[in-house]
Amino acid sequence: MSGRILDGRTHTQDTTLHCDVCVVGSGAGGSVLAERLVARGLAVVMLEEGGYWTRRSFDGREDLAYARLYQELANRATDDQSVRIFQGRNVGGGTTVNWCTCFRTPRAVLERWRDQFGVQGLDEAALVPHWEAIEQRLHIAEWPEERMNANNRVLWDGCGKLGYARGLIRRNVHNCANLGFCGLGCPVDAKMAMNVTLIPDAVEKGMTVQANASGRRLLVRGRRVEGVEAALLDPETDRPTGVKVTVRSRAVAVCGGAINSPAFLLRSGLDGQGNVGKRFFLHPVVIMSAVMPDRVEPWSGAPQAAYSRHFIDRGPGKVGFILEVPPVMPLIAATVFPGEGERHQAILEQLPFTQTTIAICEDGVLPDDVGGTVRLRDPTERRVSIDYPLRPFHFEAFRTACKEMGRIQFAGGAREVRSLHSVPVRISRVEDVGGALDRAPWEAGRVRVATAHQMGGCGMGRDPRTSVVDSQLRYHGMDNLFVVDGSVFPTSLGVNPQETIFGIARWASQFVAAGAA
Amino acid sequence: MGVHPQALAGTELSRRSLLKRGLLGGSLLALGGMGFLALRGGRAVPLPPEGLRVFSPREYAVLDAVARRLVRPRKGWPTVDELGVALAADRIAERTEKSAQKELKQLLGLFENGLAGFLFGGWTRPFTGLDGEEQDRVLAQWRDSSLAIRRTGFSALRTLVLAGYYKSPRVWPAVGYPGLPAGIHRPEAIEWRGGDTPRPDGNGVWHGDPLK
Repeated sequence: MSGRILDGRTHTQDTTLHCDVCVVGSGAGGSVLAERLVARGLAVVMLEEGGYWTRRSFDGREDLAYARLYQELANRATDDQSVRIFQGRNVGGGTTVNWCTCFRTPRAVLERWRDQFGVQGLDEAALVPHWEAIEQRLHIAEWPEERMNANNRVLWDGCGKLGYARGLIRRNVHNCANLGFCGLGCPVDAKMAMNVTLIPDAVEKGMTVQANASGRRLLVRGRRVEGVEAALLDPETDRPTGVKVTVRSRAVAVCGGAINSPAFLLRSGLDGQGNVGKRFFLHPVVIMSAVMPDRVEPWSGAPQAAYSRHFIDRGPGKVGFILEVPPVMPLIAATVFPGEGERHQAILEQLPFTQTTIAICEDGVLPDDVGGTVRLRDPTERRVSIDYPLRPFHFEAFRTACKEMGRIQFAGGAREVRSLHSVPVRISRVEDVGGALDRAPWEAGRVRVATAHQMGGCGMGRDPRTSVVDSQLRYHGMDNLFVVDGSVFPTSLGVNPQETIFGIARWASQFVAAGAA
Repeated sequence: MGVHPQALAGTELSRRSLLKRGLLGGSLLALGGMGFLALRGGRAVPLPPEGLRVFSPREYAVLDAVARRLVRPRKGWPTVDELGVALAADRIAERTEKSAQKELKQLLGLFENGLAGFLFGGWTRPFTGLDGEEQDRVLAQWRDSSLAIRRTGFSALRTLVLAGYYKSPRVWPAVGYPGLPAGIHRPEAIEWRGGDTPRPDGNGVWHGDPLK
């Protein structure tokens, strides 16, 4: 019998639901986990703070998409505003709004987690069957070079001319129309996001999804968790309706991502011996824009098709980075591109000719890189404190990455390249790239830094004194409480995280199912 | 009453001590909430008939003034007045948490406050009382400040105001952006919610290519 997808208006009075497993969060981790649990015959209730939106609403409007589908209207940021955080908040989570990029976890990352953090049993051999199953269901395949858009072509050609390693990106799409609006919700359901794949798969088999339900606290008794209390939000205003939903379950899986999962645990009085919210990583991203002689139309076509991991291993003491390309649309361009007044407007008038490249920095790998911290502000509020100090090794990587991106853009045909400093560094000759960027101010708040990847905060490991969950993703010291999302990563990945989360969640479903027995 | 400038400058302005108390920290922002000296002489602007939901008329005037400097009159571009930017910013802020609203209001107060202007840049008049070029210099002082907290404040205000302008599709022609191609969006598409309704064919099992 089919389950249902409910929203914040469904209940007008306090309600209690019963199930085997309550899954809190519906993104890459929660959805994959829930589908597997339902396939095992377990009754699952999934709570999601965001709303339920479908292609019916995906009209390509940035303002509406950011308000409906993203955390804090796509304005989530670290406390000092130095890093802007793009993160999904809807039924489907980040998968509804990401740019479809899929990488399996690099082997070196899994080995690092084993060797440095005592993670056991999570190796390539364990994950490959799960990756294969996911890749088949989500149609994950390399995007053909001949369909690559002009924005990606600059990175591809530039790397080729400079002899830098490059690759074609694998995407989770099926009959993709190559529109480029993945970040605003796919208007044709071609993106194999969770809101059109594994969530409805599980609902068909009986899962209940409660959208607009903000998890307030876990119901903890001794070593066991007995359920979850959630506050319903009005789907239109996003304000609490005053109605409470209580889910009574045999196990709980916290799947809210690397910011909301730590916050939920902390609100529930679980601080993991002080480790919850610590070692928070976000793949800090720096950006270079370029003015090209021909139209690029950076909003059009598959957003990400080419990448380079040429600089991922830069030697001891240095942060590696991966190069990719983002889609650029007016609202996001206006707030991210620097300048004020006429200078700013002149930059935006060049949008159709603007190419943009990003460097995604691999944090949490250097011995002294402990990342940031997620804390509660006011426990009654959903907004949390996110502290992520940018340190000298970050800025060394940012500066080096911007130089390399500038060189690649010139090799790809750029007429001018620009940094995204508050006062942009404009460079019209490739030989000036190094000197001009060396003279630029590399300091928090003077150069744009963003992220779309949040990891850590509930790190897995063997030692409860240094980690939050064990190698089966079970919260240390609790029998039936699990964390299943990117927050369990002990470090960042150096690749886009969604397929790692898919794989780990699918692998971990066996432990969660056992925990609900 | 008031805070002596030297007392303020010499005490609480370390970045960490400010930031750990919120978006912009308590001490500096508290100044933004004080009504002494230099809220005199500020410029009032007509209020929108729709009414304000977060900001006061004074804060609205600051938003309006900042918007006029961040987005200049330009051929082919809709004006700040045409798009109602300060009102749009009010509506954006309405969807944020109360603590964020409070910090934004304090930030606007700090921009407007003449004492803060004097401390930071030698201005004794409220922001809205300055002429356009003076306002540009104040904005640049915030943007380029050696004090991280002011750069943070500038970033927050800039983002809010620019979002209030560029959220409108009426800006698209000016920046050469066409939006989603016509005919793609299907507002009549079935929104499947389980229950007794069969799952539609286009839900994760899409077979068609909408461009063919």
